[in-house]
Amino acid sequence: MGELEDRRTAVSEARFESLLDTAADGVIVIDETGRMLVFNKICERLFGYSSAEAIGQNVSLIMPPEFSVSHDRFMNNYHRTGEKRIIGIGREVSGMHRDGSVFPLELSVGEAKTADGRQYIGVLRDLRSRRAVEQRVSQLQAQVVHMTRLSAMDEMGAAMAHELNQPLTALLLYLQAVARQIKTCFADNKPPSDKMLGVLDKAVQEAERASHIVQRMRQMVEKRDPERATIDLREVVNEALDLSEFVAQGATVTIRRVFGMTPIHVDADATQIQQIILNLLRNALEVAKESEERWVKVSIGADDRSAFVSVTDSGPGFSEDVSKSLFKTFSTTKKSGMGLGLAISRAIAQNHGGDLMADPGGNGQGATFTLMLPMHHLDETEDDTWG
Amino acid sequence: MYIIVEDDPSVADALESLLSGAGLPVRVFASAEEFIHSSSLTSEDTMIVDLGLPGMSGGELVRHLEKAGATPKVIAISGKSSRTIARETEGLSDLKILRKPPAADWLEAITA
Ligand SMILES: Nc1ncnc2c1ncn2[C@@H]1O[C@H](COP(=O)(O)OP(=O)(O)O)[C@@H](O)[C@H]1O
Ligand SMILES: [Mg+2]
Repeated sequence: MGELEDRRTAVSEARFESLLDTAADGVIVIDETGRMLVFNKICERLFGYSSAEAIGQNVSLIMPPEFSVSHDRFMNNYHRTGEKRIIGIGREVSGMHRDGSVFPLELSVGEAKTADGRQYIGVLRDLRSRRAVEQRVSQLQAQVVHMTRLSAMDEMGAAMAHELNQPLTALLLYLQAVARQIKTCFADNKPPSDKMLGVLDKAVQEAERASHIVQRMRQMVEKRDPERATIDLREVVNEALDLSEFVAQGATVTIRRVFGMTPIHVDADATQIQQIILNLLRNALEVAKESEERWVKVSIGADDRSAFVSVTDSGPGFSEDVSKSLFKTFSTTKKSGMGLGLAISRAIAQNHGGDLMADPGGNGQGATFTLMLPMHHLDETEDDTWG
Repeated sequence: MYIIVEDDPSVADALESLLSGAGLPVRVFASAEEFIHSSSLTSEDTMIVDLGLPGMSGGELVRHLEKAGATPKVIAISGKSSRTIARETEGLSDLKILRKPPAADWLEAITA
């Protein structure tokens, strides 16, 4: 009897294994403590661990660190209260590959009561390819808008430097001319002539020409009223990252997304916020590309009052000298840089009641740029319209 | 004679004010073509030429003059990057370059 049972179990286990390995989805079984008992072939491919390596380890191995903390909490909570957050529901979560890259997964969880206690079966579907297709369709349009805006900004910078050069040259030459003539007048003990006033007038005109150029630029950045809406920062940032991955296809820098589970609502112009993210990302990718580890990490967080997006890279950071002029227009350490990205980004952030801050890193640490935005607050009038 | 070839009217006018204010004889041309059609150079002349002229560029103008055997003193002015300037003046000998906007007194630089 017992032997037969054993054999049946063995057969069904073997069948179960082969089933698992032909499954199109990742399958993981964990026990009550989060230890992995099953880790199929697809999982090996998804996460870069062999099943021998994974089995016996805590499932947090394949989660971004900030998820593993809440995962433990969810499990404890479920054991205590029986309140289901995911079981039988299914949701989108983030997985982390052995190389540290984070990617989206659809996770469905089932529960089984066994003699050895409760076990959970997770079925995981890689969302990257599906997402990529969706993105390509729905974002192509947005991309065109973004890219034209971005390149317009670069072109505007180049054109502006060129345009400013002419009035500044004329202005300085007029002033040099007047200065010389006044000196001669003093030397010859003669009063200054009308002609000099004429030259000064022209100098003023050139100064005005220069300031008009600056004003025009400022209008593009500041005066345009942002199209504010209540947005989930995670979605907006995600989209910007997808966009830049799409644009930089085949690039060798890994972008790690460290996002929490809960929406982070801010009142902002989504396109402008994406502009900031893309600027930060562009800078970070440029230095990460040259670094050994080649990664950029984008994390989102919040406290009661503010939301944060931080962009860190595997580059060398920047020196104290650079940090002094970092946010100034036209300050750049790059041969073909415009030095506009950070200046414009900070202007946008401040225009939203937020700010852009920089941590220089150094000593093997990359730079971190943090965008801070005020959290969305439900005010009373809004409550009324809801109620 | 000081010959200015510069397409930006304000820059040309300011340069003229600076030179003529110091009592120097000046003629201004808005393009390389205008200069070639209406004037020629003697070895006593100094030419101040913007490298970024529309049409025939400043560099081409200087090359053209060198070929024609006239090699006056030439001062090139440009607002472009040093790399672009180097490319545009490649093969030209003995050329003083002043970059826009001026960082020092241009009259001294031009008459030196
Ligand atoms: N992630 C980073 N790591 C190191 N240095 C940086 C980083 N981001 C920006 N910088 C420094 O700040 C300068 C200004 O950046 P930015 O305003 O975007 O202009 P640009 O990229 O055109 O130089 C850069 O030239 C670089 O020196
Ligand atoms: Mg930049």
